[in-house]
Amino acid sequence: MASTKGSAGHFTILYFAAASTFTRKTTEHLPAPLRVRDLFTKLNDTYPGIKDKVLSSCAVTVNLEYVDLDDDDASGADKEIQAGDEVAIIPPVSSG
Amino acid sequence: MASGPSTTEGSTFTPDIPSEAVVKATDDIYIELTPHDLDSRALTTFVRSPNAGATVLFIGTTRDSFNNLPVSGLAYTSYTPLAKNTLFKIATTILEKHKCTKIAISHKLGECPIGEESIVIAVSAPHRKAAWLAGEEALEMTKDRAEIWKLERFEGGEGVWRANRDGVMGNKVPKEEEKGLPKV
Repeated sequence: MASTKGSAGHFTILYFAAASTFTRKTTEHLPAPLRVRDLFTKLNDTYPGIKDKVLSSCAVTVNLEYVDLDDDDASGADKEIQAGDEVAIIPPVSSG
Repeated sequence: MASGPSTTEGSTFTPDIPSEAVVKATDDIYIELTPHDLDSRALTTFVRSPNAGATVLFIGTTRDSFNNLPVSGLAYTSYTPLAKNTLFKIATTILEKHKCTKIAISHKLGECPIGEESIVIAVSAPHRKAAWLAGEEALEMTKDRAEIWKLERFEGGEGVWRANRDGVMGNKVPKEEEKGLPKV
């Protein structure tokens, strides 16, 4: 899963829980670069409705670090996803 | 199968999980995400120490209902590289804050039949008060943050991804509430 290598110029995106159910995938490769702020819109183009139904309650990690999507200066959302990066959609968690 | 994309799983869902346990450990912290049965005895033995006069063991088992709806089974998935790091950070924070001796956290992945263990936390400390408090806080932080997801399958129907923070599927928590959560 995490070790999957994408083709050149692509990043890997991982889907968990409701995000995986909605896309019917656990992972895929998308063209890089892409700004984090454009990620949800791009995914919604491919999976109509996913933004409202799933992504609006999700967090995003890039290479195992959370990207702050809500900070005031939006520096997190301006981050550019590079080829080879591992991005993950993190729905609300439910361990225990 | 229902038409169009959905956020509930059909009854044939198979969790995508590692075949062996994912572990991160030091001399005083043991973190494990495992497809195998949880071993509360082994975790208790890990935290045992001549410095510790108290060991608290928490065992979480899966319930047979949610809001009075009968649950027939559960399955857990995880983003294991991240969950492992998150649990290790939680363990480090807990050890420091409560001056504990050792801590072990183990969580089940994959199918977890009703009534079986889904999480075990063992923590030791010089005295009982610190161990009690540390055990409880470690569990609450884990439920808040560890990148693990529970699929509840209802009898005769489909599976629903649970969200700990709001008790229902897919409701967004207001931003002010999110900011109030402690940072690891």
